[in-house]
Amino acid sequence: MADVLFPRLSEKEPTAEGVLATWFVGDGDQVASGQLLGEVMVDKVSGEVVAPTSGRVRLLVGEDQTARQGDVIAEVD
Amino acid sequence: MSVTDSAAKAASAPAAGRRLTTARAIAEGIGQEMERDPDVFVLGEDIGKYGGIFGATTGLLDQFGPERVLDTPISETAFIGLGVGAAVEGMRPVVELMFADFFGVAMDQIYNHMAKIHFESGGNVRVPMVLMMAAGGGYSDAEQHSQCLWGTFAHLPGMKVVVPSNPADAKGLMISAIRDDNPVIYVFHKGVMGLPWMAKNPRSVGPVPQEPYETPIGEAAVARGGRDATVVAVSLSVHHALDVAEQMSAEYGVELEVIDLRSLVPLDRPAILSSVAKTGRLLIVDEDYQSFGMSGEIAATVAETDPGLLRVPVRRVAVPDVPIPYARSLERAVLPGPDRILEAARELLGV
Amino acid sequence: MDDKTRLDLYRVMVLSRTFEEAMLREYHADKKPAFDIGAGLVPGEMHLSAGQEPVAAGVCAHLRGDDAVTATHRPHHVAIAHGVDMDKMTAEIFGREGGLGHGRGGHMHLFDPAVHFSCSGIIAEGLPPALGQAFAARRRGGDAIAVAFTGEGAANQGAFHESLNLAALWKLPVVFVVEDNDWAISVPRDASTAITSNAARAAAYGIPGQRIEDNDVEAIYAAAGDAVARARAGQGPTLLEVHTLRLWGHFEGDPQAYRPELAEVPARDPIPAYEARLTESGVLDAAAISAIRAEASARVERAIEFAKSSPIPAPETARDYVFA
Repeated sequence: MADVLFPRLSEKEPTAEGVLATWFVGDGDQVASGQLLGEVMVDKVSGEVVAPTSGRVRLLVGEDQTARQGDVIAEVD
Repeated sequence: MSVTDSAAKAASAPAAGRRLTTARAIAEGIGQEMERDPDVFVLGEDIGKYGGIFGATTGLLDQFGPERVLDTPISETAFIGLGVGAAVEGMRPVVELMFADFFGVAMDQIYNHMAKIHFESGGNVRVPMVLMMAAGGGYSDAEQHSQCLWGTFAHLPGMKVVVPSNPADAKGLMISAIRDDNPVIYVFHKGVMGLPWMAKNPRSVGPVPQEPYETPIGEAAVARGGRDATVVAVSLSVHHALDVAEQMSAEYGVELEVIDLRSLVPLDRPAILSSVAKTGRLLIVDEDYQSFGMSGEIAATVAETDPGLLRVPVRRVAVPDVPIPYARSLERAVLPGPDRILEAARELLGV
Repeated sequence: MDDKTRLDLYRVMVLSRTFEEAMLREYHADKKPAFDIGAGLVPGEMHLSAGQEPVAAGVCAHLRGDDAVTATHRPHHVAIAHGVDMDKMTAEIFGREGGLGHGRGGHMHLFDPAVHFSCSGIIAEGLPPALGQAFAARRRGGDAIAVAFTGEGAANQGAFHESLNLAALWKLPVVFVVEDNDWAISVPRDASTAITSNAARAAAYGIPGQRIEDNDVEAIYAAAGDAVARARAGQGPTLLEVHTLRLWGHFEGDPQAYRPELAEVPARDPIPAYEARLTESGVLDAAAISAIRAEASARVERAIEFAKSSPIPAPETARDYVFA
C-alpha cells in the first residue's frame, strides 16, 4: 500500500497548510501509476497529486478541505 | 452547493471514467491536435511556462517546446495578426486572447482581417485559426475583466463562435475548432475551468474521453430533458440552469428542459425551436449584456418562425446593460445567477 | 547594377503607370458631369499609385513568387511589381466574377495566393499578417520572406510599433517598407509625426533602418537588396522608408485643396526623370521607350477587356464564401 502525500509546494514553509482543490478520481477507483489524481493549492501556487503506484485509491481528504503539506491525503493499494 | 456536500459527492463519485477540469480538457485537446498535426501551434501571453492564466495551455510547453508554444509580448494586434498570416499560409494557430475584454486593442485584426479574408478573397484564401479567450465574472474582477462578449463576436460575420460549458465538450469543441478551416472564436468562462483558485461549480470537473474526438460545431446539446419549460443557455449559465432545474423538480414538480447551445455561430435554431414547440415556454439565460445580443437572437428565432409556439412571453435573464460592478453585492445582483434564474422560471411557469 | 536590371525596373514602372492611367480613365469615365463615388463600372473608393512606382519596382525586383507581400489601400503598383495576375486583378477592381475574389473584395482587398499577395484597407494592419507569413515561411524551411508596405501616416498606428517589436524580437524574415509620400490624406508628415524620419524608429526596435531620398528607383533597389538579403539570411527585419511622391489625390475625387505645392508636383514625376537618365546613359532610346509603352498599353487594355467581359456576380450568391 502506498501513501499519497499532499505535495510540498512551499519550500520556505514545509508544513504550510493548503486546500485539496479537486479530486479527479472517486474513492475506490482503479488508478494507474503516474495518473493525475487531483489538484491542490498552497497560498497562490497550485500543484498536482499523482498516483505513486497502480491500484485502488482511497481518498482520505474531501474536496475543499484543508490539509498540510506532507499529510497523507490518499492511499493506493 | 456546500463544502461538505461537494466533498461527499467527490469522495463517493463512481468510477465514470477519467475526470478532468475544463482547463485541462482544453489543454489536452490542443495537445492531441499538436501531436497529430505539426502545423498546429499556440501563442499568446503567458501561455508557455505559466500554462495560460486560466490553465488552458497547461503542460504544452513541456511537451512541445518553445518553437510551437510561444509566449508573446503584450501586443495583441501583432500576435493575433501573426496568427492570421500564419493561417493564411496553411498553419493552424491557436491564439489566446487573455481576457475577452481585451479584444478592443486588437479588434481590427479579428473582425476585419481574420473574419473577412475568406470572404474578401472569394473563398481563395482560408484562415484556419482558433482565437480562444477567457470570459465571465463572479469573482469580483469588475468592469474590464468580467465580460462575456460572445454576442459581439457572434454578431460579426465570418467567424464561428463556440462556448463549451463542460470538460468533455471543451475538449471536443477545441479539436473541432482546430480542424475547422474557418476562424473559430473559442470562449471559455473562467467559472467553468475548474481552477483550484476560484470557486467552482462541480460540473467544471467531469469525465473526458482519453482519445481525440470532435464535438460538432453548430450543434446544441439537451443537457437535461423536460416538458414544462425550455431554458436556453451557454457556458456557466448551463450549470446554474441545471442546478435550478433540479431544485424546481424537487420543490415544484416541474421539469425544465435545459438546452446547452455550445455554439453561437452557427446557431442551432432547430434545437431551440423543437424544444419550445414541446414546452411552449422559453427562458433565455445569457451572461452577456442583455440588449442587442444572444438572448435577443434566440427570441427572434422563435418570433420569426412561429410565435404561436409560445404560451407566454419569452423571459430573458441576462446582464441588464450595465458594466459589471466591483462590489460583490452589486455583481451578484447583475449576473444571471441561480436566484434570478429561479425567479424567472417560477414566473414563467406560474409556480 | 546591370543594364538589364535597369531596363526591368523601368519596364515595371511603365507598366504600373500605364495601368493607373487606364484606371483613372475607366474610373472617371462614367462619373460625369459631377463626381459620384458610387456610380459607374468601377464604383467606390479608388487610390491610385502614380508617382510611387519606384518603391514597388525597386523592392519587388528582389522578390520571388514564394515571398509574401502585404500592401495597402493603394496597392496596384505593388501588386503589378510582385506579379499578381493582372487580368484577375483588373476584374476584381471592376467587381466581376472573374476577379481575384469573385468581385467580393474590390480594389482594396486583392488576394493572389499564387504569389502570396494580399492588401487591406485598414491603415498599418497589413503588417501583423506579414509577420505570420514570415513565421510560416521560416517554419517551412527555405528562405522565403515577407514584405509589408505601409505609409508614413501609418507609422503612427499601434500595429506598426507592435509589429516592428515582435518581428525584431522573434527575428522574423520581414522587410518593412514605408512609402512616405508626404501626405496622410490631407495631413502632412510634420503635423502627424514627432520625428522627421520613420527610419529612425528602427533603432527603437534594434533593427536596421534606412531612408531613401528622391524617389530614386536605383537607390531603392540597392537598399531593398540588402534588406531582403538580411531577411533571407536569418538576420531579421529591416525598416526602409522611401521618400516618394503621390502624383494624384489621396483618392480619386480628392480636390487636394490642402496641397500648396500641387503645381510643382508633375515636375517631380519619377518616370520621365528615370527615362531621361537611362536615355542619357544609352540604356534606352526612343524606339525602346516606344516599344515598352506599347507593350504596357496592350497588356493593360487586354486586362481591362477581360474585366469588362467578366460576368457581374449574381445577387443570389451574395452570401457565398462566408465560411469555407
